[in-house]
Amino acid sequence: MKKTLLLSALLLSQLAFAEVAVIVHPSNNNALDEATVAKIFLGREKSFADGKSVVPVSLSETASASSAFNDTVLKKSSSQLKAYWSKLVFTGKGTPPKEITSDEEMIKLVATNPSLIGYVDASKVDASVKVALKF
Amino acid sequence: MKTFKLPGKRKLLITSAVFAALFSQPLLAEVKLNGFASIRGTSVSTDGGLEPFPGFEEGELSFKPESLFAIQAQADLGEGLSATVQLFGEGRNDFDIEARWAYLSYQLNDSHRVSAGRFANPIFHQSEYEKVGYAHNFSRLPKAVYIDFEFSTIEGIALDSQFNLGDYSLATKVLYGGWSGEAFSAVTNNFVDFGMDNIFSANATLAGDWWQLFGGIFATEIDGASIDNSTIFPLAAQGIAMAQNMGATGAQVNDLKSRIGWDGKDAFYWFSGFAIDYNNWLLDFEYVDYVVKDSTDAPNQSWYLALGRRFDNVVVTLHTEDYAQDTDHDFLNGVAHPVLLATGKGINNAFAQREFDGVGLSVRYDFHPSAAIKLDYFNGSDTRPAVGDYEILSFGVDLVF
Repeated sequence: MKKTLLLSALLLSQLAFAEVAVIVHPSNNNALDEATVAKIFLGREKSFADGKSVVPVSLSETASASSAFNDTVLKKSSSQLKAYWSKLVFTGKGTPPKEITSDEEMIKLVATNPSLIGYVDASKVDASVKVALKF
Repeated sequence: MKTFKLPGKRKLLITSAVFAALFSQPLLAEVKLNGFASIRGTSVSTDGGLEPFPGFEEGELSFKPESLFAIQAQADLGEGLSATVQLFGEGRNDFDIEARWAYLSYQLNDSHRVSAGRFANPIFHQSEYEKVGYAHNFSRLPKAVYIDFEFSTIEGIALDSQFNLGDYSLATKVLYGGWSGEAFSAVTNNFVDFGMDNIFSANATLAGDWWQLFGGIFATEIDGASIDNSTIFPLAAQGIAMAQNMGATGAQVNDLKSRIGWDGKDAFYWFSGFAIDYNNWLLDFEYVDYVVKDSTDAPNQSWYLALGRRFDNVVVTLHTEDYAQDTDHDFLNGVAHPVLLATGKGINNAFAQREFDGVGLSVRYDFHPSAAIKLDYFNGSDTRPAVGDYEILSFGVDLVF
């Protein structure tokens, strides 16, 4: 019984602390911090520090990294995020990032476009993209 | 002051142009479809028997006053150019569909976007999305501030800007446009033709991680010949006749009419307030002030204060609101004839007669990724004897897609 509990606790802690990686194209040398990434994904920052335009891409709500990213970086639940974008979409002030359904698809997209920034479960990252931030 | 009703026959040209842009674009251009809806049952009861706001139905539970549906299409034409149409229908208008928004936008650079056509007039801080129930935690935004001005849809040109100031962001908007429609006057409980020319508005919102400070102004010239002839001058007719019998000259009467009338007068609306969302505590305050200057219109000073608490996917909000009007007789300074003076004061007092305040409790439950259930109770008091104390109970679903 104790072993089961211990195992469950370990599993839960693994889940809770599963890392999320913010990824960019390998040629992108811009330094990114959490606040800047949040601004990019909330539509408040349209360029990287080097002046090149940035296009954020989100994972869909069902992806495991999505809620971790929303909670930790954007500091909003998915409902709060939807309410936030409702204010912008229906007043013509902005559109939410495009949504991708899987980590693999996200990595493939970011690897081929220097303008993109995305995030995935850190364990899925490969050499085709650069990790700009991990949490 | 008054609320306004849409005319129902507006600027077909703009709508047609935007539709043409939407649907005659190159095949590869992207059209995004979004929408929002509210299905809400509302029960209103008043001591005096008259509904507290136009469109509400006193004494019964109805799904008409506060249910609505909208679908928005935005075509990205490439290189920063886009066309947007929002089709909108409300239960109170039998869900008759109108093109509420119809505009073209051009993104000048990362910071500035210019739009032209038919779009929202940012009268107050949340006016642009006040119909999008999902965007806020109330069943309806507090009426003391958001009293359903229908000149919230105007035709014109606007510049939206966004600046990053270190850890803060600043969003601004400047706009020029015009509006014409019908005005509701609480004095006569009737709608009359009304217009606003040379609307100029500017507003700004400074935001940090968990707070917002905002303010704005909206100035316009009133096209009010119709309200003068149908409402204000008839209200003055008896007093003017009596004054003439007591020796008032034609010049004195004309002078009074020019003072009490609204046509050609300037109107000013301004708002300020703050919003805080910190550790799941929410605090919102907005104060608004507006008047048709140098006329019989009564200056409004209204506000609401809301305190909310978020519990996971439930938000409970308690708010209080106050819609207050003042009598201000300065516009009559210099009127010598006592009966004409009393007539002018009487009309100003009539416009100032309607005030209301109250307390509301709202519960929002995000039961679905795109939908929220809301329950709302409001207990208020209106100074018009025909309304008196009143209660509004509502329940429903707000969704976005």
